[in-house]
Amino acid sequence: MTIQDTDIPRRRAFLSEGLRRYLAAFRTPRGLIGGGLLAIMCLAALLAPVVFPGAVDAQSRDSFLGPSLTHPFGTDELGRDIFIRCIYALRISISLVIVAVPIAMVIGTLMGLAGAISPALGDAFQRLFDIILGFPSLILGICIVVAIGPGWIALAVTIAIFSLPQFGRLARGALLTEEGREYVLAARVLGVGKRKIMTRHILPNAMDPILVQASLAMIGGIFAEAALSIVGLGIQPPTPSLGTLLNVGIRYVYVQPMYTAGPIILLLLLALAFNLISDALNAAVMKTRND
Amino acid sequence: MLTFLARRLPSVALMLVVTALIAFLLPRLGGGDPAQVVAGPDATLAQVEAVREQLGLDRPVLVQFGDWAGRIVTGDFGTSLISNRPVAQLIASRLSSTMELAIAATLLMIVMGLGLGILAGSVRKGGSRAAIDGTLSVLLATPPHVTGLILILILGISWRLLPISGEVSVFDDPVTGLTYLILPAFALALPQAAMIARLIQARMSQVREEDFVDLAKAKGVPPRRIAISHVLRNSLGTAVIVTGVRVGEILAGAVVIEAIFARQGLGTLAVSAIQSRDYEVVQIIVLFAVVIAVVVHFLSEILLAALDPRIRLDS
Repeated sequence: MTIQDTDIPRRRAFLSEGLRRYLAAFRTPRGLIGGGLLAIMCLAALLAPVVFPGAVDAQSRDSFLGPSLTHPFGTDELGRDIFIRCIYALRISISLVIVAVPIAMVIGTLMGLAGAISPALGDAFQRLFDIILGFPSLILGICIVVAIGPGWIALAVTIAIFSLPQFGRLARGALLTEEGREYVLAARVLGVGKRKIMTRHILPNAMDPILVQASLAMIGGIFAEAALSIVGLGIQPPTPSLGTLLNVGIRYVYVQPMYTAGPIILLLLLALAFNLISDALNAAVMKTRND
Repeated sequence: MLTFLARRLPSVALMLVVTALIAFLLPRLGGGDPAQVVAGPDATLAQVEAVREQLGLDRPVLVQFGDWAGRIVTGDFGTSLISNRPVAQLIASRLSSTMELAIAATLLMIVMGLGLGILAGSVRKGGSRAAIDGTLSVLLATPPHVTGLILILILGISWRLLPISGEVSVFDDPVTGLTYLILPAFALALPQAAMIARLIQARMSQVREEDFVDLAKAKGVPPRRIAISHVLRNSLGTAVIVTGVRVGEILAGAVVIEAIFARQGLGTLAVSAIQSRDYEVVQIIVLFAVVIAVVVHFLSEILLAALDPRIRLDS
């Protein structure tokens, strides 16, 4: 560590310290429940092929059985176990948001911070965000599905593009407020380079709201998959995803209500888990801000 | 007012041009050669080329775009490549179903949004406050399709109160028509109403801190009067603008809601058009939805500017 480094007034210079704050969020009750719930669902999705080998497509003559111990959610029109198909469906929901949201987070943040390098570029990106937000969300999804063709990739692109503006705006907001702060001015006076000011001072301050937003964007992504797949523009049956299950399930809602209720329960559990996590992150971040 | 319009018009125009461009490009993005589609699968190369020339597809893309936009503006929406019917006719046949749903949902959204918002902004006791806040958070976090499915499960399946599938035009049979409309309209309106309520609530607690409220209190204005003519009146601006934005979301949400409730509206038309690669129809519906969203948004901004001089004079 050089002398110059210690002399610059700065907040949370070490990544490890920042990380520790975020991890502390998972030790609060909300973070623990949300994180635990998510961990259980991730594990179930990951281990499903090992625990229930081949069961996802295993048909039987027992169609539309009611919920029982062997089939917690009953069976569908082809006698397949709805519970196991729901667990498999988690693989699609979780994989989509785990890939799409972080990509959107990185690109969106960079686009938001672009204003520091070139104001014109920064403004152009903000215009782009306005346009994306101006599109009703599903209409944008429809355009992307037409361009790419329905499937996992189109859904990931839709989720990423739709999450982009929120990250971009948060990053730009942080840039504009932090740029004028005294400690940034002080760093600049001391001759710290533009890049270092960006990575050491502005980015860490922007990260707090962006991470909270990422957790919320995951909820949006999970619901978006369901919406597009329900109408038949997302994942295509017979692949089980929460949306495709609902797409078929709603047709049999009178004979097998669990066909609709099962995926809904998992959708709500996923949303609850991410909501609790974002709450816990938010509380942890606010706490250190106020200290 | 004129300067306000002049300031806002460029961004509205930009949005419309971008939308038009995207809608125009959709059939091209969708893959497949339109000339090939029109000429049919058995056409020879020469025939395809002839069709291409006839449709003007051999000219520069920008010229084609100008041409296409010109036709749209004059009301010529093209012909469906699949059913060979004019797109305008296809849309007209589905319009009333979607309009019924959208209007019902918008009215519900405004009524419930205002009601819940004023309630949430007025109640300050611990328990009931927490209950309202909790309800709003849950409604806000649940998108229309999930709300719709839950309503189906509770009111349609468990209690068998309301029909969950199909539709009857309100004009043919008002009472039956309404029973078919209630669930989808509620599903569309609830999340948006919660959003409006949240904003009114936040704005009301903000306004309550303002100096003029203190002054009114000091003057001895009765609390009810303060609540209505000081606090509420100054909180409604946000509601106006958000209502404008939310109409677009209601239209987009109608795509999924129509599919879930098996209604034959523009949404189901769009979905079946995408699945049969009938992009001429898709592009007009996309254009239609976004133009309505943008125009309603713009109108609500004008309304707000008319109500609030700070906005139209702020340069």
